[in-house]
Amino acid sequence: MTENSKRREFLKLGMGGAVLAGAAAAVALSAQKAVAQSAENSLLRTVIDRGHLIVGTGSTNAPWHFEDEAGKLVGMDITMAKILAKGLFDDETKVEFVLQDPAQRIPNIVTGKVDITIQFMTMSANRAQLVAFPRPYYVEGVSLLSSPNGKMKSFEELTAGGANTRISILQNVGAEEAVHKVLPEAQVMQIDTQANVIAALEAGRVDGAAVDLSTVKWLVARNPEKYADSGFAWESMLYGAALRQGDPDWLNFVSTTFEIAMFGNDTALYDAAFLEYFGTKVPDRKTGFPSH
Amino acid sequence: MAQLIDAIVYAIPYLMSGLGMTLLVSLIVVVLSLVAGVVLGVGLIYGPLSLRWLIRLLTDSIRGIPILVLIFAVYYGLPPLGLNLSSFWAAVLALTLFKTAQVIEYTRGAVSSIPRGQMEAAKSIGLIFGQRLRYVIFPQATRRFLPPWVNGVTDAVKGSALVSLLGVVDLMQAINQVIGRTYEPMPLYLLGAVMYFAINYSLSSLSRVLERRYAYIKE
Repeated sequence: MTENSKRREFLKLGMGGAVLAGAAAAVALSAQKAVAQSAENSLLRTVIDRGHLIVGTGSTNAPWHFEDEAGKLVGMDITMAKILAKGLFDDETKVEFVLQDPAQRIPNIVTGKVDITIQFMTMSANRAQLVAFPRPYYVEGVSLLSSPNGKMKSFEELTAGGANTRISILQNVGAEEAVHKVLPEAQVMQIDTQANVIAALEAGRVDGAAVDLSTVKWLVARNPEKYADSGFAWESMLYGAALRQGDPDWLNFVSTTFEIAMFGNDTALYDAAFLEYFGTKVPDRKTGFPSH
Repeated sequence: MAQLIDAIVYAIPYLMSGLGMTLLVSLIVVVLSLVAGVVLGVGLIYGPLSLRWLIRLLTDSIRGIPILVLIFAVYYGLPPLGLNLSSFWAAVLALTLFKTAQVIEYTRGAVSSIPRGQMEAAKSIGLIFGQRLRYVIFPQATRRFLPPWVNGVTDAVKGSALVSLLGVVDLMQAINQVIGRTYEPMPLYLLGAVMYFAINYSLSSLSRVLERRYAYIKE
């Protein structure tokens, strides 16, 4: 091979290499573009670019979302928002809370006023037609709050009272049946607000107040001299966050982050909140078979 | 009783910023609706036919819509049109629209109740339109305008509680926040009633002073 032909061969090789490299770069670029496109429509990308999360919630229902004595927004819902912020930015404070009425929970998601609603929302098939639910973060139930000074304190005593047992409950479709499911003979008193349902117990007008299990736990933990837990809950329901439909990346991110906070390697925030707001420790997690 | 007083004393500091918000919302709504309402009210009486029709359409449609619907319509209806107001301003705008429609009617009622002869007399001595309104019509119309308007102001203060529906923490929402923590509603409702009453009673007392001040024209 002459010197010239050698050089030509070398140039050919070089050109081939350049073409190959160019093609590879083009493939890499278009792949990058494709990733960017799929994520561009997702709230996940929007939230990360914005640098903080916008959460719709309330401020008037302990232990879910309420202002503590220092005027700071706290509660189980607020903790779930912080868990998300920690997952997104490694900084649990990067949350903006938009206070909303319970009636605004779905409209504010649909119109894009908030990235996610975390406001003691019961997951139901009806609602799932309008919004997407990530995995639930609490199993709520109906429970009976009683008075430590009353003559009927435990669930057994309330049952034994028969037709003499008086129970207050929030006015609602099926409220009477809900009570009669476990206390078939009890007298049911339907009252307008949750706070007044409890006020009836304090006033001695009823022997037990049928309220959310979380409310019972919260009140008994804070005021054991005023309230007692009758020790029975029924009618379980799932509490979940809600977000817009048609955004699998965002939905999956929230589910995964909640999953990790409840069962994975980063459970400190969830555990502390659970203990503080419901008065009990989270049951021990088992390693090995993923049973949750 | 001691417990009730304790609960009330405990709650007062938490309600102060809410009270401030209620006063702020009421003040903005009252001032904006007064200015807009009087201008449009005069337009409704003296304006050209097309303007009169337009204002009539505005007041009749706004007065025909429940204020609750108006609030949600502004909050959810404007963003698709490119105007994304915060909860606070959406609530203030809706309440102002509602109040403006009322002030237009108060103005129309007060001004058109002044006998035509007053306007004609003012013309005959050579006053131009602005002067006729300023020196002849408005001084007389003011005292007819005041009583219904002050009534409307107290309504605005009470109606401002609706802003809590958009998550704005006013006095009513601050009350709900404390109840949400303590689960003791009665002392808080009592306290809330006293606070709203104090604001509105001061307003009606002020209105009596104003009415006396403008009662100097004897008919």
